[in-house]
Amino acid sequence: MNHQFALDVAGTRLMLLAGKAVLWPEQHVMCVADAHFGKAAAYRALGQPVPGGTTRANLERLDQLLAANPCRQLVFLGDFLHARASHTSGQLSALQAWRRKHPQLVCTLVRGNHDLQAGDPPPALGIEVVNEPLVIGPFALRHTPAAHSSLHVIAGHVHPVFALHGKGRQRLRLPCFYHQSGITVLPSFGDFTGGHAIDPAPLSRVFVTDGTGVWPIDR
Amino acid sequence: MVQLATQLVAQAPPRAKAGLPRATARKTLADTWFSQQGWKVFPFQREVWQAVANGVSGLLHATTGSGKTYAVWLAALNQYAQPPALPRSTTATKGADVSKRAAVTQRAAAAPPLTVLWITPMRALAADTERALTTPLQAMNIPWSVGVRSGDTSASQRARQALRLPTVLITTPESLSLLLTRADARALFVNLRLVVVDEWHELIGNKRGVQLQLALARLRHWQNALVTWGLSATLGNLPYALEVLVPQGGGQLVQGKVPKALAIDTLLPPGIERFPWAGHLGLRMLPQVVAELERSSTALVFTNTRSQSELWFQALLDARPDWAGQIALHHGSLDRKVRDWVEQALKAGQLKCVVCTSSLDLGVDFLPVERVLQIGSPKGVARLMQRAGRSGHAPGRPSRLTIVPTHSLELIESIAAQDAVAVGQVEARLSPHKPLDVLVQHLVTVALGGGFRPEDLRTEVTSSYAYRELTQEEWAWALAFVQHGGGSLQAYPDYRRAVPDADGVWRVPDAQLARRHRMGIGTIVSDASVALKFWSKGGGGKTLGTVEESFIARLKAGDHLLFGGKLLELVRVHEMTAYVRPAHGKKPAVPRWTGGRMPLSGELSDAVMARLDAAAQGHFDGPEMQLVKPLLDIQQRWSALPTQHTLLAEALQSREGWHLFVYPYAGRNVHLGLASLLAWRMGKLAPRTFSISVNDYGFELLSATHIDWASSLTPELLTAADLLRDVVESLNAGELAQRRFREIARISGLVSSGFPGAPKSNRQLQASSSLFYDVFRNYDPANLLLAQAHHEVLRQELELDRLTATLLRLQGRALDLRQLQRPTPFAFPLLVQRLRESLSSEKLADRITRMVAELEQAAGAGGYEPADQVRERTAFSAEQPQSAPSPRQKPSRSRRGRAARSP
Repeated sequence: MNHQFALDVAGTRLMLLAGKAVLWPEQHVMCVADAHFGKAAAYRALGQPVPGGTTRANLERLDQLLAANPCRQLVFLGDFLHARASHTSGQLSALQAWRRKHPQLVCTLVRGNHDLQAGDPPPALGIEVVNEPLVIGPFALRHTPAAHSSLHVIAGHVHPVFALHGKGRQRLRLPCFYHQSGITVLPSFGDFTGGHAIDPAPLSRVFVTDGTGVWPIDR
Repeated sequence: MVQLATQLVAQAPPRAKAGLPRATARKTLADTWFSQQGWKVFPFQREVWQAVANGVSGLLHATTGSGKTYAVWLAALNQYAQPPALPRSTTATKGADVSKRAAVTQRAAAAPPLTVLWITPMRALAADTERALTTPLQAMNIPWSVGVRSGDTSASQRARQALRLPTVLITTPESLSLLLTRADARALFVNLRLVVVDEWHELIGNKRGVQLQLALARLRHWQNALVTWGLSATLGNLPYALEVLVPQGGGQLVQGKVPKALAIDTLLPPGIERFPWAGHLGLRMLPQVVAELERSSTALVFTNTRSQSELWFQALLDARPDWAGQIALHHGSLDRKVRDWVEQALKAGQLKCVVCTSSLDLGVDFLPVERVLQIGSPKGVARLMQRAGRSGHAPGRPSRLTIVPTHSLELIESIAAQDAVAVGQVEARLSPHKPLDVLVQHLVTVALGGGFRPEDLRTEVTSSYAYRELTQEEWAWALAFVQHGGGSLQAYPDYRRAVPDADGVWRVPDAQLARRHRMGIGTIVSDASVALKFWSKGGGGKTLGTVEESFIARLKAGDHLLFGGKLLELVRVHEMTAYVRPAHGKKPAVPRWTGGRMPLSGELSDAVMARLDAAAQGHFDGPEMQLVKPLLDIQQRWSALPTQHTLLAEALQSREGWHLFVYPYAGRNVHLGLASLLAWRMGKLAPRTFSISVNDYGFELLSATHIDWASSLTPELLTAADLLRDVVESLNAGELAQRRFREIARISGLVSSGFPGAPKSNRQLQASSSLFYDVFRNYDPANLLLAQAHHEVLRQELELDRLTATLLRLQGRALDLRQLQRPTPFAFPLLVQRLRESLSSEKLADRITRMVAELEQAAGAGGYEPADQVRERTAFSAEQPQSAPSPRQKPSRSRRGRAARSP
């Protein structure tokens, strides 16, 4: 099954994973972008009924990813917590429980725009928090997909999705990796985050994922 | 029952408030005023006066412009008003400005408290109604105050009303609900005696009407003797409309018997194409339309879509540049000020013609309007009559409407519509059935407006027609939903909207929630819209109106667009505002707005079918049928005409594959359901994929692999057994439901309304409803709002009842399957319809040019139109609304982007 796609970039190889993550096998680093933990909780706190369970499901998916792709370091490319109101006890204890399951894993958060409003995750979670860019090897890890003068950027923020059109008016909107020269943008990791339809630039590449497979799009 | 109630009320002492006993022998205020005006009282008006005097509620049905307003208004004055004991000097008020703002302040001090509520479906009607109601008050020196409260009411006026409401309040269902959220709501309405619902036919069939039903139940709960009167134009089910308005029974139906001449005809093209496709004939009728407009003093030109109105306005201006300033454009996305100006100018007789959409369907009296042109089929009989009634809007003057067909087959629709009007075959409108989203909103409204005890409120809610069959489970669910989000506490941690206090009274615990609820009240859901403003240095200039975000998202800076009759260039888009400047050039895009497309109504379908049946027997009565005869001749020669006893189907093999065309003539929604059902049931027998195309007359199934239609079309395919299950499975019901969920999510308060200039904190709460739909489906699949979405899709978008009826009817017909050599005049529009989905407009034009040429050649002599004209009009046709089953689907970029008017 095409559960990952190998992409040669910056003189090394990246794996685009169907679980909406990027793996750099050489250094055992995995990146996920835009988890938006506690988004549903923030809505509820402000009076919008959204069923619970999204955070738990997101964390379970993260566990599956880590089990299938053992790695040393996990980098969150911004927007870890959705809003200040996401710091509920339920959210934090769920995150805490997840963290305890992975004591050896180095966790790093590159601050994104939501993190600035929501505030850093509590120190007890053991997540190192840095401003963008975080330089690791030939990569500049950022939240916003802005080019770097010398390094290849891996970023999030956009929540890219791509619409496929089929016969008989069929239309399928899928999260995607969006790869241009110098920048690779990840799909948003969190459920309940929505997406922004991209209009791919010439020479760019798009890889859609449905959570089980990764497909390069021929255009 | 009614008789008894009548006697009781008649014997009861009159409700005199000012201290003066009512002089029964004296002339009533109504008689006084009518004789002052030199008017004759119509019997129906006297009937209403009598009913109100007896405390009886009811529904008054009369044609537009026949004096409905005064029937009810003078009934109210007769019953509840007292002329001043001593005639005061009236010089101060006589010549005074009767405008909105003035009336309330002048009289507020002396005026009695809120006595009459006048509900109007349109804000735009409010000012007119106020003027109409104020005139007799001033003439007879009655110290009542009149006020308007709607979304347009200024903050200062609201503040005044907060202290004391006028004697008569003119308001919308939304603003009434908003009043019900006030903690002192009950005290506000303590003296209320009468509620008048204007244009009830506009409200009965939708959720705004349900919102009003709930509000009325609330008011009746407070005021047992409250009298309710609805005013309605033509409806197919008047006793039903009365029952919905007055569900407690005892209502009286009053029929206005004012004879009003209704002249409907067709603007006949000099010739027709034998291979029509939607929109093709459109602008070709322009010279004739111009000639008609030249002959009339003031005319309304109705179009069925906003895009079409923009195109026609521009085309008229191009044809007659000298009419600049005398013709205007009016549609719902134009800025309020622009629309107000157009309405005023129209009323003052300053305009020659206004190109408009359903935005001018309703109420306001435009006395100068002499005639009405309807571009394209009206698609429904009630709509046709409503629009016809916009002309000759005064008792005794004739209404005149001319249908301008935009393709050959609409000639048949046009004469069929005239048939239906002649025999009074008008569409019925049904109240929505217990929509839970509206109930959820109402629960929070009542929790704010003084709070509620569940057992009392349940009795009140189920006394309304829409919720008469609300089950205990649904009620409990709705309560639980506002209390903690869902059926189970743990599903929605930390969430609450309304909760019982220590005394068991449910209230809203949080001031911020209360504010948000008040802001989001209402049931009208529009697409995310972007304000359109002129670009000027240092900020935005004048506001032009709104366009949908999805439209503007497809344009780049520098692209041209047509809006409000102006050619504009997009400068930039910033924070929900699109800045534009005037432009010159050739190829603008015309904004498209979703929604508003009506399928051919059942009544009109039947009338069309009757005409085709007659044609099949050789009867071509009427000029329209004569004109369309060449087309029907070819249809008959190559295939057959559908009749009332046969179901016509056509099989064709082409390079594309194996086509089947079927013509049930039941409207596009039903055809979509039928086609999907047929495809799905056939696919169950042998796996295959079909592409589907539908229009109001029939549908096409296309298979890329060989299929023998004759042996495949078995009676079992059209059985009504398991219909519900099969329809749900056959359509991608999930996707349709997701679109429907958008509205439900808004109304029930799941999604905040996005509006330009909303504060950041609100924007943070905006998530697309599809996201909500997914998260609900995954994490709370038992949520009843999801069930409601599915139910509404079936009932409204697929017209399940009509689909069932159609299936049953088709079973009684013989299948008439014809093998074709080439597409027939009926099949051709369906073919083009599907091609449009896949081709850009240029390629489409080439393709259609070639196809028409081939078909014309095969059809032989008698064709009207040289094929080379096709190309130039393709651009226009591309602007015609697609018969897409789902207005939310986005056609390809190329097609929309190149949509342009005819050079």
